[in-house]
Amino acid sequence: MLKSWKLKEIVLLAILSVVFAVVYLAFVHVGNLWAGLIGPIAYEWIFGIWFIVSIIAAYIIRRPGAAFLSEVLAATIEMMIGNAIGPRIILVGIIQGLGAEAAFAVTSYKRYDLWVLMLAGFGAAATSFAYTYVMGGLAALSPTYVATMFALRATSGMIIAGLGGKILSDLLLRTGALEGYAIARQGRVHG
Amino acid sequence: MTFQEMNPTIKFMTVTLLMFGLAFMYNPWTPLAVFIGTLILQILFSNVNWKRWGLFMVPFLFTALGTLWTTLVFGKETSGEVMFTLFGNDVTVENVILAATLSLRVLAFTALSLLFTLTTDPKRFVYSLMQQGKLSPKIAYSVFVGFRFFPILKHELMQLYETHALRGVRLETRLDHIRHVPNLIIPLLAGSIRQAERIAFSMEARGFTGEPRATYEVVAITRNDFLLASLLIVLFGVSVWIGI
Repeated sequence: MLKSWKLKEIVLLAILSVVFAVVYLAFVHVGNLWAGLIGPIAYEWIFGIWFIVSIIAAYIIRRPGAAFLSEVLAATIEMMIGNAIGPRIILVGIIQGLGAEAAFAVTSYKRYDLWVLMLAGFGAAATSFAYTYVMGGLAALSPTYVATMFALRATSGMIIAGLGGKILSDLLLRTGALEGYAIARQGRVHG
Repeated sequence: MTFQEMNPTIKFMTVTLLMFGLAFMYNPWTPLAVFIGTLILQILFSNVNWKRWGLFMVPFLFTALGTLWTTLVFGKETSGEVMFTLFGNDVTVENVILAATLSLRVLAFTALSLLFTLTTDPKRFVYSLMQQGKLSPKIAYSVFVGFRFFPILKHELMQLYETHALRGVRLETRLDHIRHVPNLIIPLLAGSIRQAERIAFSMEARGFTGEPRATYEVVAITRNDFLLASLLIVLFGVSVWIGI
């Protein structure tokens, strides 16, 4: 998978993961305090934040695996800089990354329109919710409450990760820093 | 024989296995036993800074509390004797047991996580993943680059604050600084991306190809690794037995 990658693309992937690992960790602490007050549902509406690196990396680098790898790396780095969720976070990263990656795989890594990015956000929300359902024991809660949680998470994934990721990447493109990457080539084709 | 010396890949796999197992246990005693047992193992086989341990643990006490009352108030309807009513929801014995299980599970997860996090050197973990886990050196060394990047990132952030202050942005209190963060994200990321490109060039210039390579630090697997792993698995087995 990595054979065709240029080294600068992998290093970019790692740097993006580092930056967003810090962001992710900051929001874990926000979520934790919140969660004491209103329960696990506190995380749901900001959940999209934890998918954003997948969308940004895939949108910029446009190679198979970018969405998956960036999320796993971000999770690993997050653990190393002190997320007490610990090794489990890597598993979460793998699962979320697979969900986002699926959206790009379905479109054969050819389309990077807004709807694909939002689909990726939704995919990450879906797989991560399946994980929460098992590990968090959501079967113990009433079905309506669980459905609300999922609806919140899916919306958050599509808006914050999908739309937000696109806006952030497009702003970065305008700075000229992304000239050497696939996202800039694509921009030129369409004028 | 300590958890600090334990092979990180094996430690990672064992701890993850235990957490997965815990997710399928629906009685409060198993997570409680795992929590206490993990603490005992950590006292016996590692020297941990307990102040740090406590600091990491505190936020998860909040999460555990949140889980406890959410499960009580929004718990699914169960048959059985109603113990009390909470915000209009009839709470049965089964609801209470579930709520206790789930919040103790949060604590057990955290204790296991800290057993890993507080005793693992990130560099050794990446080396071990490369040597035993067949992780691609391209990724492994990019992670090392990522680590080296933290001070650069911090430095760049300070520089951005200073330049923005020079241009007349009011940055006096800590709150001013926090409020200004959204305006810094794009320049900070753009700067980091440019740095990443330069770093990649210099890695290539020094002959880094991403092929498997000889390493200076070898992270071996010893008999002690298996001993510690089996201790954890025995702990899980005993905890399951207590729960029955």
